[in-house]
Amino acid sequence: MPVSPRAELRRHWPWLLLTPGLLWLLALYVLPLLALVPLSLSEPLSRFGLDTVFTGRVANYLEVLQAYGPILVRSFSYALVATAVGLVLAYPLAFAIRFRGGRWQPLLIGLVVLPSLTSFLVRAIAWTSLLGDSGPVLGLVDTLGLTELLNGLGVLRDGRLLNTPASVILGLTNGVLPFLVLPLVVAMERIDPRLLEAAADLHAGPLRSFARVVWPLSLPGLGAGILLSLIPAAGDVVNPLFLGGPNERMIANTIDNLLLVQLQAPRAAALTLVLMALISVAVVLQLRSRGVEDLPLP
Amino acid sequence: MTRPSPPSRSASAPSPRSRRVFLRQLGLAAAGVALTPPLLQACGGGEGGKDRELVISNFPLYIDVDAPGVPGSVSRFQNDTGIQVRYVEDVNDVRQFFARIQPQLAAGRPLAQDLIVLTGWTAERLIRLGWMEPLPLAEVPNARNLVPSLRKPSWDPEQRFSLPWQSGIAGIAYNIKATGRELRGIDDLFDPALKGRVSALLEMRDTMGLLMLADGQDITRPTWAAAQPSFDRLEQARKDGQIRRFTGNDYQTDLLAGNLAACIGWSGDVAQLAMEQPDLRFLVPDSGGVLWADVMLMPKGARHPQEVARWLNWIYEPVEAARIAAAVQYISPVEGVREVLAKDPATAALANNPLMFPDAAMLKKLHVFGPLSDQEEARWEERFARITEG
Repeated sequence: MPVSPRAELRRHWPWLLLTPGLLWLLALYVLPLLALVPLSLSEPLSRFGLDTVFTGRVANYLEVLQAYGPILVRSFSYALVATAVGLVLAYPLAFAIRFRGGRWQPLLIGLVVLPSLTSFLVRAIAWTSLLGDSGPVLGLVDTLGLTELLNGLGVLRDGRLLNTPASVILGLTNGVLPFLVLPLVVAMERIDPRLLEAAADLHAGPLRSFARVVWPLSLPGLGAGILLSLIPAAGDVVNPLFLGGPNERMIANTIDNLLLVQLQAPRAAALTLVLMALISVAVVLQLRSRGVEDLPLP
Repeated sequence: MTRPSPPSRSASAPSPRSRRVFLRQLGLAAAGVALTPPLLQACGGGEGGKDRELVISNFPLYIDVDAPGVPGSVSRFQNDTGIQVRYVEDVNDVRQFFARIQPQLAAGRPLAQDLIVLTGWTAERLIRLGWMEPLPLAEVPNARNLVPSLRKPSWDPEQRFSLPWQSGIAGIAYNIKATGRELRGIDDLFDPALKGRVSALLEMRDTMGLLMLADGQDITRPTWAAAQPSFDRLEQARKDGQIRRFTGNDYQTDLLAGNLAACIGWSGDVAQLAMEQPDLRFLVPDSGGVLWADVMLMPKGARHPQEVARWLNWIYEPVEAARIAAAVQYISPVEGVREVLAKDPATAALANNPLMFPDAAMLKKLHVFGPLSDQEEARWEERFARITEG
């Protein structure tokens, strides 16, 4: 029996709905990304021209890995530390919002998201005022008599905070916090409160019911949050630029400099693809273990 | 000149100052990031030279601005000529600015700007690449006021493509309260007592020029070999954390905020900042300072050449040039400025400032960084970038 046109339409309907988005992704993401591949294997024709010639020069990759490998390692280390620090802050926060927020819950979530409404750039510059040598943060540290201790721990460098690794990580943590809190709240949202009542009925104390009920059931949110936080943190350009010094540059700064200052588009493309590949590995690992259903829309 | 009076030295001052510092830095960042779109929109308007418009890109804080009751140069020019000026302070770092305009120029498309102000060595590159238009100097009679020392410079030997905007000196700026002592030379920047409170310029010729002069090298004929000890010294200082940042114009923010005790900076900036922060000093080391010039260039296909001629002629009038000079306190390229400043009691002191009007003793200490071939420059810039970008 032939399929009626209506049924045909209904069958293709989801694809039609997806078309604008897919075209958008294709034109503005996939194609430019693919264009980077031949560019990364090219050589500039002249020093100040834009034109490059494809020569299949694989050495671009070896050269950037050799020259900027340490900066790649630094970028992912900063991103990991920022995510870890962020989790220490985000987990209790998400727990409180979910289980103690009550009717304030929407407001609390709004407050978590609120800083993200400010421009990235403005936030980084605001931090430079707060973290400066004569800024309020160091003033507080000094008043509390913590300068020596924090110097010893390596958080402060000779009593300074701005333009140190600590200030870059602080800026990154600030940026990724909502990406950690929201997936955790969503995951905890799914925890049936009756499970906690049942745990209590079975004589589990608060700690035990947390360890046996809340923690395992929040793990999907944790995984999603870590991924959503690691990706932007590893590729951040603004925080190291404003809050770091020359010893705290991250890989996006290097790409920026290669492309815009040294005018070496092929090497910048090679480094970009290396970064993309490393991040894709993390994404694939996450998707294989959890799927996409736990990725919330921030 | 009306200027904000220097703030009192009382300890209660920091909060308005840090707010101003914040706003200033925001402005600098915004200039680098946000101001391109309005410039692009400027492309659409008018045809030919009929719309009487002029679009200029310049470094930040490089002209006298409107003050209550005293219009700045841009406003006065608009009133005098009826030409609408879009004066945009979007050049923070010349290399990044070059990278931004390069795609359009390389493709043979005109820029939105009719006039751009860039450093001498960038001008040399742009002229050599054939991306610049000769200036309409036949319609600029006041060009004869150009001081002799800046005529027919190495970057424009026939003086066809460029006229200087200002020139100035790269030297050492420091906050004497923060250093606790007068500084004497480049070696002081490497003093462990100042660790982490020193910055250097991303402008390679200024930073490397000062270091090489301190190393006894001739920077008018720079060679790769002669530069190596200075590169090594800079690299070590960066690794040791001696150097906190490498900066464009933004060193000013850190200097005012107290994050820097000493830095490599530009003469006029520091003179302007010293009005806000009287503890700032500027030093041209005995080993030598780097003399540079920023010049005005007209990109190929500029839409308003007649308006460019009017502007050039207008700012090369000594009276107008003197107002700009008094505000920015760099070395004016216009003959007669000194006499104008000397006549007005409010600016008479500036006429005797050796940083604005270098005397024989100062001139002996100043050197211009010589040309580098393309290949040499690529090698220098790569090594410099490896140092400044970690």
